[in-house]
Formats: sequence, structure tokens, C-alpha cells
Amino acid sequence: MNPFRWLDERLELRRAKRDLLDREVPDRLTWWHTLGSATLTVFLVQLITGVTLATYYSPSPDHAYDSIRFINTQVASGALLRGIHHWGASVMVVLIIAHMIRVFAVGAYKYPREINWVVGMGLFLIVMAFSFTGYLLPWDQKAYWATAVGTNIAGTTPVLGAALVALLRGGAELGAATLARFYAFHALWLPLVLTLFVFLHLVVVVRQGIAARPKDLEVGAPKATGDPAYPAYYRQAYAASKRGGVRFWPDVLGKDAIVSAGAVVIIVLLAFVLGAPLDPPADPTDTSYVPRPEWYFLPIYQLLKVVPGSLESLIAVGVPTAVVLVLLGLPFFDRGSTRNLLHRPLALISLVALLGGSGILIGAAGVGPVTAPEAGRPLTSMERAGRALYQSQQCGGCHRIAGQGGEVGPDLSTVGLRHSAGWLHSFIEMPSRFYAESHMPAYGPPTLSHQEIEELAQYMSALRGRTNAEPHFYDTFPPPPRP
Amino acid sequence: MTVQPADVVRAGRRAFLKWATAVSGFLSALLAGVPAARAFLSPAFGHKRTEKWVRLGEVDQFDTEVPTKLDFVDTANDAWVEARRLRNVWIYTPDGEHFTVYNGRCTHLGCNYFLDSEKKVFRCPCHTGFFDIPTGAVLGGPPPRPLDTLQVKVEDGVLYADYEDFRLGVPGKASA
Repeated sequence: MNPFRWLDERLELRRAKRDLLDREVPDRLTWWHTLGSATLTVFLVQLITGVTLATYYSPSPDHAYDSIRFINTQVASGALLRGIHHWGASVMVVLIIAHMIRVFAVGAYKYPREINWVVGMGLFLIVMAFSFTGYLLPWDQKAYWATAVGTNIAGTTPVLGAALVALLRGGAELGAATLARFYAFHALWLPLVLTLFVFLHLVVVVRQGIAARPKDLEVGAPKATGDPAYPAYYRQAYAASKRGGVRFWPDVLGKDAIVSAGAVVIIVLLAFVLGAPLDPPADPTDTSYVPRPEWYFLPIYQLLKVVPGSLESLIAVGVPTAVVLVLLGLPFFDRGSTRNLLHRPLALISLVALLGGSGILIGAAGVGPVTAPEAGRPLTSMERAGRALYQSQQCGGCHRIAGQGGEVGPDLSTVGLRHSAGWLHSFIEMPSRFYAESHMPAYGPPTLSHQEIEELAQYMSALRGRTNAEPHFYDTFPPPPRP
Repeated sequence: MTVQPADVVRAGRRAFLKWATAVSGFLSALLAGVPAARAFLSPAFGHKRTEKWVRLGEVDQFDTEVPTKLDFVDTANDAWVEARRLRNVWIYTPDGEHFTVYNGRCTHLGCNYFLDSEKKVFRCPCHTGFFDIPTGAVLGGPPPRPLDTLQVKVEDGVLYADYEDFRLGVPGKASA
């Protein structure tokens, strides 16, 4: 008995093959048309590697980091598997963005594909949510602090901010509850929702057919897609575009498979050569750590550095939200029937501005944070404020740092190795308490506020020379001043 | 009907694309699947046991003819967690010179057997298995094999045993 015939009698496999594989598609489909399939392939890779990683992972702050170390060192192919999952995420974001640009550039979101553009936007947002939740799971320094910053950005949302942070973190602080809910979303909810959306996306593609090239859908077209004559025009033009007898299998699927395999090869090569990074374990008390998110979140991250404080919440939450809303609404307000990007100046300018802006922000973030030479590491925001005060208060008139400054007072180049920030705070406030003969004026209120003195003290404490040697404090405090 | 050169080209192209689909699909599945399968299946293969010598006590402290039970805490690396487990062994010596050390788990399903001092046998309370004290042989009940003996050594008058658990419920003595 032929098992294929047995199944065919019951499931009509031949008809399914005719409808799915043998269907005719428009002529001259480009290699750019393979990006969606490649994204799907990488998703499957993420699914396989992710499920396997989950079999060795413990979503609790006590064990998460150790379980990742275990995967890296004890599990066969464990480090490679982590590398594939790590780089797969990046490649998936690249592919999905490239796919969106392709669809945008040929106006494939226009009639009749509005629904699939919106479903696709949903897929994009789900993938970003995957990235954000997956980033925390190794529970290393980078994971912890990037998520601290990420959730804080959500906290700047007007009105809803505090509730949003608590919702994301599962409490006021980033901790065990955060890790558990991020894991639940990353490994349970999001895969389910993504699979559903992928299914929807594919069903619609099969129903509507692959978009034809702009040229075939523009000649003699009514000006607007809202024109009552447009649907009839579209049906006729789309049918005409399929005259070449190109079939989905193997003409389209073959190219899809080649590009998909190329993406997988690149991912595995990156995993082999570079592997997945792992910082020291998360240390919530180490405020000197400068967190940086994954590259695709860098535009938002860098935006926060550029905008002044009062506008921060508006920009950090407002700009990405606005971009997403505009993209979601795109097929509904862009009703012109022109599809070629080169004939759509506003769309072209918007695309260049969005990609260029993001690129510049990523580039700028790639340059910073600048290592402060006097500290041998990047400064925290507190220390940067202290450095600004050091300059504005003309401290350099008397003191020297790394050979720069006056000769009257002591050299401060390595003061952080000798004194704690606490001692420095008290000293700056009233030097005569410590040395009766000191010529340094008291900077306590009203000259500087305690906040400002603390910023200065933190900056002083960071001055440990280039080597960043271990400090040995010689702090002696005099008895408190008599009132 | 004549065959157009374009049709030949197209047929060749299609044949190539069919071949490319198979090769590319196989390659993708292989690259992602092999590391995943290796990682997932690896616990089932390639066990490397490290010897675990436990100090049981000085040789002259053990009574002859009467077995002695010894409990000890074993620090085991349980994947990424360091776990402590309570283990026990039975030590038997007929003469104070030759020692037999039994793993404290019944070979049937792993219950801790005890010394029935009236009948002078080991008795497992779970399913009433009986073992001979000097040889560990099964005297009655469901146990499929004699008690598991451990490697022993005496150094400077101190008795050591290489603690190891064995597969339960099977006739042959095999590493767990």
C-alpha cells in the first residue's frame, strides 16, 4: 500500500499541493522577496535552540547565572547553542527590518494588503519584546543594568509611568519576580503569540498572493487606492502579472531556502567565532556599571542622552510610540496608488530620515560612553555632574588633576585611592575641621548644596589614576564641631 | 511542437532550485539541529565517574561479625546547584582485617535496609527483602541481585570506601 495515496484519499494532499506549492506567482520576483521566509527560518532556529537552552536554565536570581555558566562549560555544544540563540536574535531583527523596508519600498502594504502590514507590525513588536525579555535572563551585569534602564524608560511615561514599571518588574524593584515574569513571557507567552501571528501572516499571504512589482500595478491605475474603480483595476493587473507561469514551488521556495540557509550559516559562524557574551554576575550595588542595551535598542538609549531632562519622558517614550503608531496607520492614510518608492518623495524622505536618524544614534552610542582618562573608566552621571562642578567652581585654580591645574593646593590625581567619598564630602564641606591651617574655603551650604558636594565627592573618589588600583583609605574624622 | 531554448533554461533552473531547496533545508536543519540535539541528549551518554573515597573510620573501631552502619553527608554537584545528600553504607568484617562495605540502598528500589539482629540478616522494610550479612546474597523477597559492594582500601589503619550508586531493580550491577 502506498502511504501517500492512503493519506491523499483522506486529506486531499494533491489539492493542498496544488493550492499551496503549485500556485502561480507574479513574474520577476526578486531575491529581496526571500527576507520574510528567512526571518521565519531564523525564528525556527530560535525556537529549537531556545527550547533546548530552557532545559538547562533556572529562572531565579539565585541560580540563573550559575545555570548559564553550566550551559557554557558543562553542556555538550552548550556555548555554541547560546551563541546561536544570541546571534540569531540579532540576525532576526536585521531580517525583519530589511523585510519591512522591502515591503515599504514597493508599496506592498497598500490595497489589498493593509491587514498583513498590520499583522507584520505586530510580529515586529513581538520580536522586540522577545529581545527585551531575553536580555535579562543570563542575570549578568549587562542584563541587570540594561533592564534597569529599560524599565526606567517605561517609568518616564506620563501618568502611567509608576504603574508601568511595577507591571514590568512585578514589583517596585528589579528582582526575582522580574526574572520570573520575563522568563514566562520569553519562553511561554511570546512564542505562542508569535506563532499565532506568523500563521495569520502566512494565511493572508497565501490568500492574497505575493505582491507583484510596482511597475505591473501602476500602469493605467486610478490615482487613489480608495477609488471605486481601483479593486477591479487591481484584480486585472495582478492577474496579468502572473502570466509568466512562475510557480511558488520551486521558483520561489528554492530562493527562500537558499537565503534562509545563508542566514543560518552566518548565525552559526558568528556563534562559533564570537560566541555569546557573559558578564560577571548581576550586582545591584555596583552603581558604577554603565549599562548598554542590545544594538537595536541603542537609538532609544542614545535619544535619552541627547535630549534635555525636562523633555526626556516625552522623547524617550513619545518618539518610539509615535513611529509605531504612524507605521501601523500607514496603509490607511497613504492612499495613493503609486507604489515605486522613487515616485513617492514623502515616503522616501521619511524612510531615509528614520533609518538615517537611527543609524546616527546607533553610531553615536557606539562611540560613547567615553572613558574618562583621569578615572580610567567611564564616569557615572553623578561623577559627571561632579566634574562639571569642579570646572565651574574653578577648583583647578589651586588643584591639579593629571598634571593640569594650579600649584597652591594638593594634587588630586589619585585622591580616590587615599580617601573615601564620605570623608571627601565632609572635608569639602568644611576643610578647617580637618586641618586648622588649611587655606581651602568651606564649600558647605550655602556655597554648594549637599547634593552638589556629594557629586564632587563622588568625582574625587573616582580619581584613582589610569591603573584603577585598589584604594587604601586613611580617613580620620575630627570630633563634630561645637555649636 | 518545438522545444524553445527558454523552456530548457527554465527546466534546468527549476531542477536546480528543487535541488537547492533540499540541500539548503538540510543544511539549515543540520546546523541548528545538531548542537541542540547534542546538548539535549548528552546527559544520556558519556558518563565519566570520578572516584569518591569516603573516610569510614579507623580499622580497629569496627566490631567483628556485627555490621556497622555509617551515615555521611555527601556534597554533590547537582548541575548548577551544590547539593548535600545524606548517604549511608554498611561495613562488615569477619576478622578486623578483611572488610566488605555495602551501599546502604536496597538493590530493589533503593529503600534503606536495616539490621534485623534477631534473625541476623539485613531486612528491607519496603517490600520485605532479606540479604545475607557476610555475602550480601538475597535470602528472600523481590530484590533482583545481591547488595552492592563498594571498592575499599585501608591506608595508615584507616578504612576508605569509593562511594557509588548503582542502577536499581535490575539483575546486573551497573553504574547509575
